[in-house]
Amino acid sequence: MAEVKVKVQLPDADPVEIENRIIELCHQFPHGITDQVIQNEMPHIEAQQRAVAINRLLSMGQLDLLRSNTGLLYRIKDSQNAGKMKGSDNQEKLVYQIIEDAGNKGIWSRDIRYKSNLPLTEINKILKNLESKKLIKAVKSVAASKKKVYMLYNLQPDRSVTGGAWYSDQDFESEFVEVLNQQCFKFLQTKAETARESKQNPMIQRNSSFASSHEVWKYICELGISKVELSMEDIETILNTLIYDGKVEMTIIAAKEGTVGSVDGHMKLYRAVSPIIPPTGLVRAPCGLCPVFDDCHEGGEISPSNCIYMTEWLEF
Amino acid sequence: MTQAEIKLCSLLLQEHFGEIVEKIGVHLIRTGSQPLRVIAHDTGTSLDQVKKALCVLIQHNLVIYQVHKRGVVEYEAQCSQVLRMLRYPRYIYTTKTLYSDTGELIVEELLLNGKLTMSAVVKKVADRLTETMEDGKTIDYAEVSNTFVRLADTHFVQRCPLVPNTENSDPGPPPPAPTLVVNEKDMYLVPKLSLIGKGKRRRSSDEDTAGEPKAKRPKHTTDNKEPVPDDGIYWQVNLDRFHQHFRDQAIVSAVANRMDQTSSEIVRTMLRMSEITTPSSAPFTQPLSSNEIFRSLPIGYNISKQVLDQYLTLLADDPLEFVGKSGDSGGGMYVINLHKALASLATATLESVIQERFGSRCARIFRLVLQKKHLEQKQVEDFAMIPAKEAKDMLYKMLSENFISLQEIPKTPDHAPSRTFYLYTVNILSAARMLLHRCYKSIANLIERRQFETKENKRLLEKSQRVEAIIASMQATGAEEAQLQEIEEMITAPERQQLETLKRNVNKLDASEIQVDETIFLLESYIESTMKRQ
Repeated sequence: MAEVKVKVQLPDADPVEIENRIIELCHQFPHGITDQVIQNEMPHIEAQQRAVAINRLLSMGQLDLLRSNTGLLYRIKDSQNAGKMKGSDNQEKLVYQIIEDAGNKGIWSRDIRYKSNLPLTEINKILKNLESKKLIKAVKSVAASKKKVYMLYNLQPDRSVTGGAWYSDQDFESEFVEVLNQQCFKFLQTKAETARESKQNPMIQRNSSFASSHEVWKYICELGISKVELSMEDIETILNTLIYDGKVEMTIIAAKEGTVGSVDGHMKLYRAVSPIIPPTGLVRAPCGLCPVFDDCHEGGEISPSNCIYMTEWLEF
Repeated sequence: MTQAEIKLCSLLLQEHFGEIVEKIGVHLIRTGSQPLRVIAHDTGTSLDQVKKALCVLIQHNLVIYQVHKRGVVEYEAQCSQVLRMLRYPRYIYTTKTLYSDTGELIVEELLLNGKLTMSAVVKKVADRLTETMEDGKTIDYAEVSNTFVRLADTHFVQRCPLVPNTENSDPGPPPPAPTLVVNEKDMYLVPKLSLIGKGKRRRSSDEDTAGEPKAKRPKHTTDNKEPVPDDGIYWQVNLDRFHQHFRDQAIVSAVANRMDQTSSEIVRTMLRMSEITTPSSAPFTQPLSSNEIFRSLPIGYNISKQVLDQYLTLLADDPLEFVGKSGDSGGGMYVINLHKALASLATATLESVIQERFGSRCARIFRLVLQKKHLEQKQVEDFAMIPAKEAKDMLYKMLSENFISLQEIPKTPDHAPSRTFYLYTVNILSAARMLLHRCYKSIANLIERRQFETKENKRLLEKSQRVEAIIASMQATGAEEAQLQEIEEMITAPERQQLETLKRNVNKLDASEIQVDETIFLLESYIESTMKRQ
């Protein structure tokens, strides 16, 4: 008669039990637990059984596997998300995770490929799959119009991708910018004029012709010409374009923290100015604006004697 | 000397002095300094004519001579002086605004004749003024002398360099050409002359006709045969002083445009006070204290000291940086930053040219790159708020015209274009030079067009001249009204209209030349000032 060895199995060694214990541990430590922690909890379980249990939980989608600098971490997955991914295989889950990590800015398909090491055809198939399941969406980047970045369906794309207030549907809104430009300039111009009329001593005159960026912002908001909410930085970019037009000059003064409109202890003030010279002499002659200037010489096809621009100009 | 400059010089010399002088002058400009015989040989003109032409050019300060080793005298043309001839109308007009008709005529005579003694100038101007006055009145020489003395005091006219008086008894032969020296102290010293007399009226009028170019008379005949007391002391116009004045005018008007009238008056006062004390090429004027400025303000402006101080502070704080504060003694010491002012004016000229040629959006991009010094393509689009395609187009257009340049910064040693940064930048000095060259060519074009228009209608002009001469002679001999009418009708109505159009066109082209010359002045001053600082 052979002896039957009976292996005594402790009640804890049941695989389902192990999994449940691990899940409880995960709930206890929502940030994640390391392998070490599990080992400490259940020291009598062999490493192999532990591994089997963890693998099962991972494949069921109830645990998340993360890498930290101390080693591997296991974290309980959101039950909601767990339901979504049922029916997707591992590769899709991987891709989804990468896209989720990209957050607001989205991620380009080539970057997904680098991160997941999957071939291009696979990636494309998976992306199409995920899109049809309405889990991710493609957003056209305003910087490079051919590039598409992918992000989670319910996320709002970041400003750098859509271009912020100046872009509507990937199109730069030139007229909107022009209108704002003119309105800001008119505001500053009237302010300067009223200051000039007041005829007080020059210091006061000068100071009252300045307007801070905050004032301009308030004025534009009250005008209500913009359907999109504009921030103070947006107004400052518009005022900068006026500076580059040579119509406005800017100074920065130190302001107390807490005064309206001050940023980091200083305020930007803007003032309308007029150009320092009238249009210069060269442009009053037809040669200054001539498009074929370099071809013009006496005796040639184009010469001063038969210049049609000069003839027109002389007839004024 | 660039091709455009040589062309312009040749046109100017031809217009003012004639063919032969033009040939010699252009030859000298092209080939640099040469001795007499080589000039005669290369240009194929006779020695006699070359000598006469050189005399004319030297008289007008357009050619200088130097004794080289082995006793050879070489002649060198000064291209920049020839180009100044464009500015003669502006000099004359400025003197008119400052010293009224008398001053205007003095400067005009000096410019026409190159160098003159004071007595000759006074006599000529008095004669001319008397012509224009009513019968019976004459101009006293003393009045003209006074104006002349005032011009010398403010340095608008100066003495020419003289042959030095060698007291030694030099046994050797005299050098082939004298070396002229000018005594700094005496440069503006007016000799004590007692010029007594009145202007004389000429009997027969012998005016130049309207269409003829001004021909230079190589010799001017003097009526007096007795030696004048100031013989040998010749005067010429001090062009640098006029340039200083123009520069001051430009700065004052710039301040008036940017700020208000009172500030510009203050700046004008400061500039006036430093007229004599500061050399024209200095980057800063001498420091002036606020008290001094207050005392020197023109009498009409009664602003209080406090208000003046406020204005000065405002001027010093302005982003334009024309005025700077250099100290606190005497109520605050202020200087005018001349170099910065010229640079701002030159930059404004460049911006204005770009605005008129390419549009205000292009001007925005230009100013943007100017302020930020170096920018990438993408950054340009973002800052200027211009759609990418248009911004690219404008940048390339300006690049092809050399207003903007590219700076390459490679990331890899093999300079691969996909791995290189391309930054746009503006170099004001080179852009100014390029624009200056364009100005020279433009003026040459305008002059050529003017000559062409005149030549086209030559027949008509000659006819009108003949008719005028006939009328004048008939008037002198007392003809009847009917006969005069008949002669006048020789010129038909459409011809008269044609003459009108011609006159209008020629005036317009002339005025345009002067306007382009203003641009040339600003750009040249800026380039000169920058070169001196380096």
